[in-house]
Amino acid sequence: MDWKSSIALSLCLTQSEKMSKQQLKWIVTGNFTADGAVAYLQAENRFSRQLVDALVFENKEDAEAARKAAAGREALVTDPYVTEVADADKQLDVLTARERIRSQGPSTPYGRLSPTPRVV
Amino acid sequence: MQIIKDGAIVEDPFVHVADGVELPASGDVIVSLDRYLAQREALKRREGRVGVRLRSDQEAKLAAPYVAELPVIAVEFPGFKDGRGYTTGRLLRERFGYAGQLRAVGDVLRDQLFYMRRCGFDAFELKSGKDVQGALQAFQEFTVTYQGAADDQRPLFRRRASAHH
Amino acid sequence: MYQYDEYDRRIVAERAKQFEGQVERRYSGEITESEFKPLRLQNGLYMQLHAYMLRVAIPYGTLSSKQLRKLAHIARTYDRNYGHFTTRQNLQYNWPKLDDVPKILQELASVEMHAIQTSGNCVRNVTSDHLAGVAPDELEDPRPWAEIIRQWSTFHPEFAALPRKFKIAVGATPGVDRAAIAYHDIGVRLIENEAGERGFEVLAGGGMGRTPYIGQVVGKFVAKEDLLSYIEAILRVYNTYGRRDNLYKARIKILVNALGVEAFRERVEEEWEQIKDGPLKLEQAEIERVARHFAPPPYEKLPDGKPQLDALRLGKDRELARFVRNNVLAHKQPGYAAVIVSLKQKGIPPGDMSDEQMDAFADLADRFGFGELRVTHTQNLVLPDVRASDVPALHAELVKLGLATPNHNKLTDLIACPGLDYCALANARSIPVALELMERFEDIDYQSDLGELNVKISGCINACGHHHVGHIGILGIDKGGEEFYQIMLGGSAGYDASLGEFLGKALSVTDIVPGVSKVLNCYLGLRTSPEDRFIDVVRRVGLAPFKEAVYGPPTMRQGVAHADH
Repeated sequence: MDWKSSIALSLCLTQSEKMSKQQLKWIVTGNFTADGAVAYLQAENRFSRQLVDALVFENKEDAEAARKAAAGREALVTDPYVTEVADADKQLDVLTARERIRSQGPSTPYGRLSPTPRVV
Repeated sequence: MQIIKDGAIVEDPFVHVADGVELPASGDVIVSLDRYLAQREALKRREGRVGVRLRSDQEAKLAAPYVAELPVIAVEFPGFKDGRGYTTGRLLRERFGYAGQLRAVGDVLRDQLFYMRRCGFDAFELKSGKDVQGALQAFQEFTVTYQGAADDQRPLFRRRASAHH
Repeated sequence: MYQYDEYDRRIVAERAKQFEGQVERRYSGEITESEFKPLRLQNGLYMQLHAYMLRVAIPYGTLSSKQLRKLAHIARTYDRNYGHFTTRQNLQYNWPKLDDVPKILQELASVEMHAIQTSGNCVRNVTSDHLAGVAPDELEDPRPWAEIIRQWSTFHPEFAALPRKFKIAVGATPGVDRAAIAYHDIGVRLIENEAGERGFEVLAGGGMGRTPYIGQVVGKFVAKEDLLSYIEAILRVYNTYGRRDNLYKARIKILVNALGVEAFRERVEEEWEQIKDGPLKLEQAEIERVARHFAPPPYEKLPDGKPQLDALRLGKDRELARFVRNNVLAHKQPGYAAVIVSLKQKGIPPGDMSDEQMDAFADLADRFGFGELRVTHTQNLVLPDVRASDVPALHAELVKLGLATPNHNKLTDLIACPGLDYCALANARSIPVALELMERFEDIDYQSDLGELNVKISGCINACGHHHVGHIGILGIDKGGEEFYQIMLGGSAGYDASLGEFLGKALSVTDIVPGVSKVLNCYLGLRTSPEDRFIDVVRRVGLAPFKEAVYGPPTMRQGVAHADH
């Protein structure tokens, strides 16, 4: 994600938060134990790396129960927790900057960014 | 119950008795330091040995006057993050000359055993549900240590020197 | 630099093996995640937002070229081709896999490196002056003492579960502090007393975070041979009396300030009385053994390099001139210089270095020095022993690698923590703010005109970006799940230690850099001359003019506050 456009996104989020107050739902998320990547609980007790696959719970109690079950699978997933989402028009959206970055990855570049050294 | 003592699994005759609970008529018991201080004379007259248990917030110096008469001092580690017991162990051994059984109790896991032994503990009640046999391997995990402690007060730099002579 | 002997090698090798076993038991369920967490932390392994993060120790910021090549190899093989240098002179990898970490630790052990105690409630990496051993203003090289403390603290069994983390810094420059010594749990300063004897001034209770404190002098003059016993006494007092009921009140700074430094010193010295003549007393043979590893390298006998460097500063090659003016520093050995290599480049997160840059830079360390480099606590590197006559050739090579930004101690030589892009503790992103500042103010002439300026950016109150001690500090906060930023002014990490003050209401992601710009314009309007430094102006005039510049005149401010979200 381009860090400049991510700044604009951050403002859009405030608006969607206002819209979605009536439509709060829940998902279960954590990190995969093997590589620390973001994990979203999906159907059939599996975990996905994509937010779009997340199983949406209509109420917090059900989400909590699922979280508890997930917490017992420490070899697969570490420290799962429950978080709110907005589910307007079947589009799943997270509600905080933190969850947005978890779902999309770092907003800033990384890796081999430097000029490639010229081999003499 | 079974405890680790001197690197092996042994049967332990001592029974922990909580404050306010009546002591068994005979047999070896471990009571809180507070109880020991309050009932010392009666406890000494009792049949069976009596050891004490220190909470993590009780300093070694509280037990120091009694080191000669205590067969067991148990030091509590209420959570493995509470490291006060390490200081307590070292001071009991190194400063107050305690020569009896120094036992770590509470949230005692395999991965703390090496440090605990270095701090003077020679007996361990491993947290229930944990693999006691596997835990014994913890004592062999390091063959070199940098700093002095209760097991050998000499920092490595003093041992290096003697190794070269 | 320190060369491992058989004992040191065994320790790191056995540690790597121990961690391998711990990972196995984690997967098998023999230990739970909450039991595993302190174990992995004490091997520098965090769980962050997108991945694990591994923090490799670089003791007192000194690295060999061989070690840097290994770090490049690890970045390439196990991570995503880069590493990040931190504000405690360490290196972080942001994408290691759990299964690979034991292998990474073994690879590190093969070049006398490790990730021991770079996290967790134990004694962390001992940091020092990045110009140690070469600075003309130092009494002696502080690194032998840092190494002695490092060995004493590594796997210290009594201090493996402290109330909280513990950071120690060592320096040896009277009146100057390049290692933020006053902001460490223990700060050690080598000093000379009136009788000309050398010993240590030992400070305790410094730190940033939620409640920042400047360290206070506990040991006024500790003899060299008493250094370890004195520090052990401090740690023992902390281990025994430090608060364990509240995570945010658990650092030693809270204890020192709760007791008052006099009472704290009394407790320390009462304990110290018992141990100072024991086995912890350092023997001259050991001091010399360690010091020998830091003996000066085989310098050539060269004429004074100052005339050459002065000529370059005024020379026709403007790029090179700027570089020499800003980034080339005096050296105690005639004919040599210490060169600051900036890891602050437009478009690249500050402190990041690719594997290719690392490999190429290792070659430069060999070619333009003695195979050694340093890491500063401001996320830059140093080539400590460059011949003055080689500076133009070195500069040309650095330009090819994108490492020649001549911005040392200028606006874009800022520091930033990883922030919410990576860190599970963060409230806001810091890297985009850093990138935007670096882009907006990239004009090096403007920066030179602004003069000495230390900008420090943290993504949360834990202050890994040292925002409390920035001339301009920026703190990211969370308001209703969104990112906002507070500006602080007037902090300093040097010998003239001071904590910054908050300027006013938090600014949004789009307003923070314009806000900084207003601060800078205000400074330019207030200063009496180009030599009138930013920090001096702030200290002299206070925050009021800057407040007005950013938020408007006082009577208008209420209205502005409501218009702002």
